[in-house]
Amino acid sequence: MIVEELAWEEATGWGKAGKIGDTAGLVLYFGATATLADGARHAELCEAFPRAQVIGCSTGGQIDTHGLTDTRVTAVALRFEDTPLRLATVCIDHADDSRACGATLGRHLSAPDLAGVFMLSDGLHVNGSELVAGISAALPAGVPVTGGLAGDGPDFRRTLVGAGTMPPAERRIAAVGFYGPAIRFGHGCGGGWDTFGPRRRISGAKGNVLHMLDDEPALDLYERYLGDEAAGLPGTALLFPLRIWDPARPEHDIVRTVLGIDREKRTMTFAGDVPEGWYAQLMHGRFGRLTQGAAEAAGSSAPAPGMAGDSLALLVSCIGRRLLMGQHIEDEIEAVAERLALAGVSRRLGFYSYGEIGPHHVSGRCELMNQTMAVTTIAEVARA
Amino acid sequence: MNSPGWHRLFAKQLAAATSVAGTLDVPALAGLVGATYGEADRERRRTERAMDLMADEIERANAALERVVQDLRVQNLRFETAIENMSLGIAMYDADEILVVCNGRLNEVLSVPPGTIRAGMSFREVVAACMECGHFEGRTLDDAYAERRAILFGGDAPSIEESRIQRKVHVTTQPMPNGGWLFLFEDMTLRREAEERVAHMAWHDALTGLANRLKFDESLQEALVRGGRGEPCAVLCIDLDRFKIVNDTLGHPVGDALLRAAATRLRAMVRETDVVARLGGDEFAIVQRASNQPYDAIALAQRIVEDMSTVFDVEGHHINIGASVGIALAPNDGLTSALLLKSADLALYRAKSDGRGAWRFFEPEMDLRMQARRALELDMRRALVRQEFEVFYQPLIDVESRGVLGFEALVRWRHPERGMVSPGEFIPLAEETGLIVPLGAWVMRRACEDAAPWPDGITVAVNVSSVQFRNPAIVDTVSEALALSGLPAERLEIEVTESIMLHDNVATLAILHRLRRLGVSISMDDFGTGYSSLSYLRSFPFDKIKIDQSFVQDLNKTKGSGEIISAIIGLGASLGMRTIAEGVETHEQLAKLRSGGCREAQGYLFGQPMPIAQALALIASGAPSGVQADAPLQLAQATR
Repeated sequence: MIVEELAWEEATGWGKAGKIGDTAGLVLYFGATATLADGARHAELCEAFPRAQVIGCSTGGQIDTHGLTDTRVTAVALRFEDTPLRLATVCIDHADDSRACGATLGRHLSAPDLAGVFMLSDGLHVNGSELVAGISAALPAGVPVTGGLAGDGPDFRRTLVGAGTMPPAERRIAAVGFYGPAIRFGHGCGGGWDTFGPRRRISGAKGNVLHMLDDEPALDLYERYLGDEAAGLPGTALLFPLRIWDPARPEHDIVRTVLGIDREKRTMTFAGDVPEGWYAQLMHGRFGRLTQGAAEAAGSSAPAPGMAGDSLALLVSCIGRRLLMGQHIEDEIEAVAERLALAGVSRRLGFYSYGEIGPHHVSGRCELMNQTMAVTTIAEVARA
Repeated sequence: MNSPGWHRLFAKQLAAATSVAGTLDVPALAGLVGATYGEADRERRRTERAMDLMADEIERANAALERVVQDLRVQNLRFETAIENMSLGIAMYDADEILVVCNGRLNEVLSVPPGTIRAGMSFREVVAACMECGHFEGRTLDDAYAERRAILFGGDAPSIEESRIQRKVHVTTQPMPNGGWLFLFEDMTLRREAEERVAHMAWHDALTGLANRLKFDESLQEALVRGGRGEPCAVLCIDLDRFKIVNDTLGHPVGDALLRAAATRLRAMVRETDVVARLGGDEFAIVQRASNQPYDAIALAQRIVEDMSTVFDVEGHHINIGASVGIALAPNDGLTSALLLKSADLALYRAKSDGRGAWRFFEPEMDLRMQARRALELDMRRALVRQEFEVFYQPLIDVESRGVLGFEALVRWRHPERGMVSPGEFIPLAEETGLIVPLGAWVMRRACEDAAPWPDGITVAVNVSSVQFRNPAIVDTVSEALALSGLPAERLEIEVTESIMLHDNVATLAILHRLRRLGVSISMDDFGTGYSSLSYLRSFPFDKIKIDQSFVQDLNKTKGSGEIISAIIGLGASLGMRTIAEGVETHEQLAKLRSGGCREAQGYLFGQPMPIAQALALIASGAPSGVQADAPLQLAQATR
């Protein structure tokens, strides 16, 4: 596998032409909503890599080998030696269709030699939990699905996904399947958040809309904790993610972040389900602990030794982490880079998302996660 | 431009604010650094706010918890009070057999000192503590523990009742969802005692404490079932003789005491397997289970008759009664309890009619006799209503003049199917059943009415039974008959037998005197056959003595009969009483009587009892037909 890193800047454009050109099989790119909205970047990449599957999305900040950027469009072109690919896309009208959309993608990609799936989805019109459940159910057991939900900085207004011949647009979901015995996926995810305050019962919820915690409107609680920062809702709600768990399986806990609020109904919409009857506890982040959590995720994702050619780390981290850590956010990117370097992975591409997709660290089941750093490494083994 | 001491972030900010050419953009650096301070301030404020809120929340949660704890404490107190005041002993064990809840009542119900059984003890320790207080005697701790464990924790019986020391304890066992057990101990001692008392009352006679009729029937049935298996039994029915007199004269309290004393004696006479019952009044009965029948029954009956005739000392009174006993044997005399009891009752009846103070076995023909008697009794009652009775008259003759002095009125029963029924057959039954009272009254009225038109001086003699004498109303009966008929009292003779003197002499004499005051004369009938006590003759001045016909009929056969008759005539003369001989059938007898000084006679020689029409004809003719050949009779009035 050969990895060619690319970057677009307003002043300089894409810079020098790529070496692998029409031999690239896959191009991934990430950029700010405003930069991608006109479809020009997508078109340019399609033109530069005519035989490649091109997919990308808007973000809350792009990551590449050089670090974090809000202005550059970051991208990689990948040439696989022995790994066929397949791209599947779907448009979603309503969040209630999330599971069905996931199932459609899964059916399209499913094959006996499917080794893994990388998925990018609209970040605002989708119930991520249902989407992941839908695609996982349609795929052979054990096939990892990683990726994330597109972002829109701290604004939560418009998220875009571009795929194949289709320029970036809202309500799009795209997934790339990797086939054959050569490809290797590694994955890990970590949060580093600490719970605080009393345990609360989810006393009113429907799907991913949370109504009540301990019989009190959930939004009241958040506004109280945010104080004057409540004006920045729903973005500032990311400062206090929610750890939720089924009382019957307390070890299988999940972190949820807020996607939107309804000030009249006093409800909050989360990136995944918040089942009624489960317990919930507020979380808060300390910079050092969050950075450590990200590093651990990178460590878990490290590929086995003996890979042929380049390897690539795809980093999907939560926008909530960035909002909290501010300028310290680069600490986590550096910590991940350091850990990956130890495993021999030097190329990185990624973004700050509205939701991370990957296998749960306890159950192994692919799920939508929030407030985590999810790291996926891709490499090919040497040809026999 | 870097220094090892600089903060990592500041180094980055410095690098970001420095151009490729190395020029530092101070405002840009200030902006970055300022933003960092701002972020830090916000983070600090956020953290402080979160901490304050969290502290508030924890405070509220603590207050809520404290309220819950307080509520639980109150609830606990209520439960403890409720449990402590339960009438049941409660013991709740957890799954490890540790007593987690119990109350003070538990110690009371189990008859152990207060505080012996306490929460926290293991079940084994509880068993050991009970053993120290005398429970589970004769067992080792291991055995008692294993046994109690099997009973209580076995789950086989949800409730049991057992004896614990001196109490009856009912234990309810209830498994709990967490593997423990709840046991409730109820003291049943008082309830069971009360039940026993009630059961005793239902099965026993309150006065004597003997078995009652219900219990007797059950015992008898049980004995009969055993009898079916080859164990014979006897039923003895016992009646106290003369008890009624005691009750009437000395009062019910003495009567009751006498019954208790009699019961005590009876109980002392039987074996434990026998059952003595009081069936009512002075009737007792015994079920005797004995293999050596009829000898065991005879022995017991004999003992009863003897013991009961021994004087009773009751409340300062020396009371002489006696007992009659009827015996029936299973299976010969009946296969059911009802039949057997009836047979014994019939035997008792016979014992009594044979003179009391005796015992008799049931005999099958006795039953037939009783049936016939019963039929006769019913017939007699009907006969009274249908006026099937008639009065016949037998003439009384003046021995010297052969004139008719009067007639003895004798009742006859003209049965529509059986023809004439002998008085010997129905009079005793009438006396026994009390029918003699209405029958006697009817005869008295009839005789007075019939005699009223007779010539002056012709008397009519009417027999009055000793049963009628027991009721002073006999005086009214006589005076009414006289008043209604218009018969002068001096033409009415009342004939009584010696037996009236046997029963309550004082009352009898009072009645005799009242009758005498009416103006009627009174004869002693059948003299010489019964007790013939001279004291009777001295106690009341009878007008006439009737010499029993047996002496007259023996005149020609037995030596001494003539002397007896002479003696009676002499005795009568000395007391100022006339004498009349009954049953004169021959001239020879008449001659001897006359020579012996007898003035009056009655018998077939002068005329059989005859219907009123014939009696009137005789009166009209002036002499009875039987003596016409020898010497014509004249109306006695002519000689008086």
